[in-house]
Amino acid sequence: MKFLKKLSILVSTVFLTGSFFAVSPVMADTVEVNLWSRADRSGPLRPGNIVAAADLLNKQYKAAGVDKTITVKIHENNAKGFDADALDLFKAFAAGKGPDLYVAAHEWIGALAESGYAMNLEEHINAYPEYYSDIIPTLWGSALYKGERHAVPQDSEIRMFFYRKDMLRKIGKSEDFVNSLPDKVNAGEFTMMDLSKLAKEVVDAGVAEYGIIHRPNVGPDFLMAMASFGFEPMDQASGKLKASKKALMGFLSWIDWNASNGVTPRNNTSFSWDTVNHLLPEGKAFIKHHGVWDVGRQIKFGVSEDSEAAYTKNVGWLNSPPAEKGGTPKNLSHPIVYAVNPKSSKKELAALLIAIASQPYFNTKHAIGSNHTAINYGQESMPDYQKAWPLRMGTPMLKYTTIMPNHPDIGQFNQIIYKGIQGVETDRLKVDEAVSFVLEELEGELGDKVMIVD
Amino acid sequence: MSAPSQKHRQVTNFAIFLGPAILLLFLFFIAPVIVDIGISFTDLGRDLQFHKVTTANFERMVTRDSRLTKTLGITFLYVLGTLAFFNVTFGLILSLATTNVPDKLGAFFRSVWLLPRMSPSVVYALMWIWMIDPTERGLINQVLSFAGIPEFDMMNQAPLMLIILVNGFIGASMGMIIFTSAIRSIPEHLFFAARVDGAGFWSIIWYITLPSIRWPLSFITVYQTLSLMVSFEYIWLITNGGPFYDTTVFALYVYKRAFENGQYAYGAALALILVTLGILASLLMWRFMDMKRMLQDPRIEVH
Repeated sequence: MKFLKKLSILVSTVFLTGSFFAVSPVMADTVEVNLWSRADRSGPLRPGNIVAAADLLNKQYKAAGVDKTITVKIHENNAKGFDADALDLFKAFAAGKGPDLYVAAHEWIGALAESGYAMNLEEHINAYPEYYSDIIPTLWGSALYKGERHAVPQDSEIRMFFYRKDMLRKIGKSEDFVNSLPDKVNAGEFTMMDLSKLAKEVVDAGVAEYGIIHRPNVGPDFLMAMASFGFEPMDQASGKLKASKKALMGFLSWIDWNASNGVTPRNNTSFSWDTVNHLLPEGKAFIKHHGVWDVGRQIKFGVSEDSEAAYTKNVGWLNSPPAEKGGTPKNLSHPIVYAVNPKSSKKELAALLIAIASQPYFNTKHAIGSNHTAINYGQESMPDYQKAWPLRMGTPMLKYTTIMPNHPDIGQFNQIIYKGIQGVETDRLKVDEAVSFVLEELEGELGDKVMIVD
Repeated sequence: MSAPSQKHRQVTNFAIFLGPAILLLFLFFIAPVIVDIGISFTDLGRDLQFHKVTTANFERMVTRDSRLTKTLGITFLYVLGTLAFFNVTFGLILSLATTNVPDKLGAFFRSVWLLPRMSPSVVYALMWIWMIDPTERGLINQVLSFAGIPEFDMMNQAPLMLIILVNGFIGASMGMIIFTSAIRSIPEHLFFAARVDGAGFWSIIWYITLPSIRWPLSFITVYQTLSLMVSFEYIWLITNGGPFYDTTVFALYVYKRAFENGQYAYGAALALILVTLGILASLLMWRFMDMKRMLQDPRIEVH
């Protein structure tokens, strides 16, 4: 009996000790969330705000006496751009090493959702109106896949035509004309061709070497200018990509006119980014087609003193003018988004971290640090945002914004169009040849995923 | 030694001496081709998932790929141009020049020509990008402007020449090293005898040097042809295949299709063309350059 008692004490001790060690990791209760983000020096707070959100939750847990700690493990992917990053992300998912949540360029959400790698967030977003109801509605378009939200916009931006006001003064334009151009564009009174002719005047007068310059590689800017000619890259009803022959003809004719009349250099696509970035601030180009984040660089390269008054005296911002009088101007925003892995065991927590990171306090820090516009209306009234004058000036332009479609093949679609632009601009293709080239390539490469319309 | 143990010894020797080479050959040459063939018959896309076995990639290649034949044409001109002007001809000129000057001077010039090969690819590419920038920021245009010559946009006006130059300046150094070593292996008495017989500089090159380095010449031609057919690193870094498709060589085309668009299966099907062309080129050159003889005996020494 005595032996049995001793044995039971021994067994109980072993059992309890074992239980202690078995549960000890749970008692520490550290929850690790894996975040995938492209290593991007210009936007460190994209992952940083998720870490900050976890810190906030940890503080709240502590205050409530909950013994739980959330840590965020960041995988910073060293990809060349967001497209290369998305392809790497696909590889990680295919290898079973997908993160719990990730940062991606919005146009990839369609492809990621189609492959089962982006969670449908409708239920989550509807469950937390406290967090999401102030987000600028047009930005939600960037998160849609089959009409439902599979991501949360992380930032927004404004692309535009920057023009040198001082050059217009030099060719004798009145102060009223110089300053009223943005309003004329918004009123539909000033067209794309008017812009080209104005740029030609500046070049012909010898005030600038180049009239209009654009990015030297494939990118969303061109879709913004194409939208002015009525080009809509997606058919909303069928969900297919769409290419309008007439709109393409109009846009490429405009490109051709600019290149043939010395407005855009024929070798614009051979320029390095460094060259492109210096031309406007150094007074060699009259207009640059780019985005609001370029303002800091323009000032750094000498376009004006670093103040709102000095900058706006020298530089004006235009939406993409309509192709014809009476039309609507266009703009383009290219939000980066947060998304959640639907197969993650921590998907609810991951979504909650995104909700917190999307709040004005956190997002404004990113917006100011990276020169991106806000995602919440409320941010506009925050003192820090008000002080960041380029963002304050740009936010009203969001009214005219369009967003690239979230189609899995939009990257390839853009590449083909870019080749057509390059063909015309470098005089390797006539406009009608380029239109045929683009349409044939789209049909050949994308088959029935694209519809060609007149 | 009994027959079974001799047999055992033969097998062991085979495994020890040829085994590693056969294993490496299989792992890095044969297995990738087998995997490539397998992938080319699937629909492997950006999600890296197989959904079906299909011949659609080959059908697309034949019926819908309008760029395919044009990129093959560009590849032919690029390989031919780089070989003809640099990797063989210029390599030979460099080796002849540097072996006909005092040794130290020759060694100095050979070192200079090896510099591009020793530089990291990206640094070399960035230097070219800066040199050919079409504005006055580019080095070439700064020099031209100093000489009062109008600006020249090499990337736009002579893109094929650009990629031949970029690859040629690197490729020439390999020919230079091999040819220099071959020229040095020619017994000196042949040169002395030729001079005694009154042969001049050009006659010595034509009748002594060139016949003696025939085999290294054949080797460099074959090796560099195959190497150029599959190389696109500098083209990708400097022109990215442009402007338009003017410098899109076939290997770059395959890379872009597979890795920039995530069409892995289609890229694999296109890569099979490259594998086939490589094998065909090797066999043809093997036949026409009589490479079989080269591999039989050392051919540099004159017996």
